[in-house]
Amino acid sequence: MSNRMRVAVRIQLVLGLFLFVSGIAMITATAQDAQPTAEPADTQETAVPQTDQPVPPAVDGLVPSESYCLLCHAQPGRVWTLPSGETLSLTVDPQIIHDSVHGFSNPEGPLSCVDCHTQQFFPHPEPAADNVREFQIERYATCRDCHEEQYTSSMDSVHGAAIAAGHLDAATCVDCHGGHDIQEPDASRQQISLTCGKCHGAVFEQYQNSVHGSALFAESNPDVPTCIDCHGVHDIADPTTNLFRVRSPQLCATCHADAELMAKYDITPNVFDSYLTDFHGSTVALFEQQDPNVPTNKAVCFDCHGVHDIARVDAETSRVVRENLVTTCQECHPGATADFPDSWVGHFPPTLESHPLLFLVDLFYKLLIPAVVGAFVLLVLTDIIRRIRERTSRRARTQAES
Amino acid sequence: MAQQAAVQTSYRRFTSVERMEHMILLVTFSGLALTGLPQTYAAQPWAKGLIDILGGIESVRIIHRFLATLLMAEAIFHGGVVSYRLFVLGYRASMLPGIRDIRDAIQWIAFNLGLRKDHPHLPRYNFGEKAEYLAVVWGTVLMAITGFMMWNPIATSTVLPGSVIPAARAAHGAEALLAVLSIIVWHMYNVHIKRFNRSMFTGSLSREAMEEEHAEELHKIESGETAPPLPAEVIALRKRRFWPYAVMMSLALTGGLIWFITLENTAIQTVPRRESREVAPEVTLTAGDAEIGEALWPTLRCARCHGDTAAGETGVPSLRGTALTFDEFFTVVRSGIPEHDMPAFTPLEIPDAYVLHLWEWLRQADEPAP
Repeated sequence: MSNRMRVAVRIQLVLGLFLFVSGIAMITATAQDAQPTAEPADTQETAVPQTDQPVPPAVDGLVPSESYCLLCHAQPGRVWTLPSGETLSLTVDPQIIHDSVHGFSNPEGPLSCVDCHTQQFFPHPEPAADNVREFQIERYATCRDCHEEQYTSSMDSVHGAAIAAGHLDAATCVDCHGGHDIQEPDASRQQISLTCGKCHGAVFEQYQNSVHGSALFAESNPDVPTCIDCHGVHDIADPTTNLFRVRSPQLCATCHADAELMAKYDITPNVFDSYLTDFHGSTVALFEQQDPNVPTNKAVCFDCHGVHDIARVDAETSRVVRENLVTTCQECHPGATADFPDSWVGHFPPTLESHPLLFLVDLFYKLLIPAVVGAFVLLVLTDIIRRIRERTSRRARTQAES
Repeated sequence: MAQQAAVQTSYRRFTSVERMEHMILLVTFSGLALTGLPQTYAAQPWAKGLIDILGGIESVRIIHRFLATLLMAEAIFHGGVVSYRLFVLGYRASMLPGIRDIRDAIQWIAFNLGLRKDHPHLPRYNFGEKAEYLAVVWGTVLMAITGFMMWNPIATSTVLPGSVIPAARAAHGAEALLAVLSIIVWHMYNVHIKRFNRSMFTGSLSREAMEEEHAEELHKIESGETAPPLPAEVIALRKRRFWPYAVMMSLALTGGLIWFITLENTAIQTVPRRESREVAPEVTLTAGDAEIGEALWPTLRCARCHGDTAAGETGVPSLRGTALTFDEFFTVVRSGIPEHDMPAFTPLEIPDAYVLHLWEWLRQADEPAP
């Protein structure tokens, strides 16, 4: 170990601490200078530098700079072999971090390594993880230091619950957002659903061909829902619960009952209201109001229209186009016959042309009820008038007599 | 005779059977209205409150159907009672409306308005009571038919067009509203407000009420003009003919009622909904989509080394227009090329479907201009 090297290390430290931002280029240059004896990358199997490596001095109580960490971590090909036999690359490309949201574009200023890798003073404590995934699970709690709200709500999500139940493959912060390379998660709306598709491949395939997904990918439509518009972002709830099912019509209604939004696509905003007046909808609404956890098979929007594979209602593949509707009805009404779907009035107010019988029955009672009840009221009134007249004349008679 | 009748202060109007029937009607009608109207007007706050009090929509529906069954059983019983009176005891069908009831009503209105001096002399059942009875009969039949359609929509739609069912639903709700409003206005006024008429509970009516509401009947009673009962042997003969017929009819109708309420349960039962769709990651490899592949590319680690457009970077080959077959490409992605520092990617990071989309895009992508 030469004097020249020790001096270089100290220079680095000082530069790193005080010239963090402007010194990046210089640091990389000096870091390269400082490692003339670095061993070939592929023989390096542990995070702990060998004794003949440049060992940075311990920095108790002092925040190590990025350059300090990069002394080792910028060396290419550094890997750590975990007890499971898996390897984890320890080589960090500072450029990737600098280009991330935590880099120079961060309004709070760029983060340094130890902002996230807390308690990682040198020499590093021995990690407890047995494999890469355990290590990732162990580490991602660090996001909480700055993103408390998002972290906490993700703990309550399906993903958080799955991890808590021991399913370590469930998504953590970094699985969706990335690690060093974190970018704006919604830089494009497509990116949101693509991210979910990384794990939920089958669902993604259905979605991308649906009326919503195809509009998103083909036209970059700004209105169609991406995954998170229905499922939420960090607090993604289990969509297989009764609660989710019973409340789902309101979810669809957030867009489909919005007259202004629906007018853009020539879709009736009446779908939710008409659903609520129907047997299915009124029952589901009552369940929701009574106890949203009650199981019900009464149809909600996605029972008829499909979940991720929702098609245009006039598409050949649509579950609700008249040719396919009876099959859809049969999922809940097994014996349904070809004529059964006509008992569904649809999402449009009935007219004489569309539903003559219903329209006429409605009209009949609209006339009959006021006529009959009105007649009864009038008859009762004549009786009351007579009784008042009789009473006053009787009183007059008794007064006259007295 | 006239002297004796004059001191009589109350007149028997209803038998205990009739009073029992009325009680059943009272309970079922009120209960059906209380459990039915909130279903028709489910979105109204009062309806929600009422349903809550009654234990939720499921229990409301069960109560409604129970009371409907009871009412239909009562209707069958009433049919038997009426047949017995008409065909065995030889009573007049005094409930049937006729031209005279219209005349009575007009005279009554004229009297009320002071256009006529005398109150019309009304028979045993006056026009108002006949109207109510007729409404109950008509209403029960209509509600039973439309109720059947809603209770058994599949059976109905095999015989009739499906569009009959929503029409039945509309009629059921509207008829209910009509019946409830009529009861509130007409029945309430006539038997509770105008004068509290206890005859349906006690069986007899005061002379004063008889004079106003059934003057003709009162006159007949007092003058002994009521029809004499049939001779006992005639009744006995009629009974022998009546009973087999009555039992058969009752059995048939009761069987029909049981068929009615057990035919279908599609509208009542909450069966476990069908299996939830598969949400676990599972890829059905069909065909890749180059567009998706292109969109995926910059989001994956591949782009880090092979460049944002897959055109390659120093020391890293371009993948555009790749000649690899899908299987070869897949193997490279999954196994990596250790000697060139190309990492292996697990399905967790790059699902199978992604690989297919990427391959489809890369295969079609033009090689970049040099």
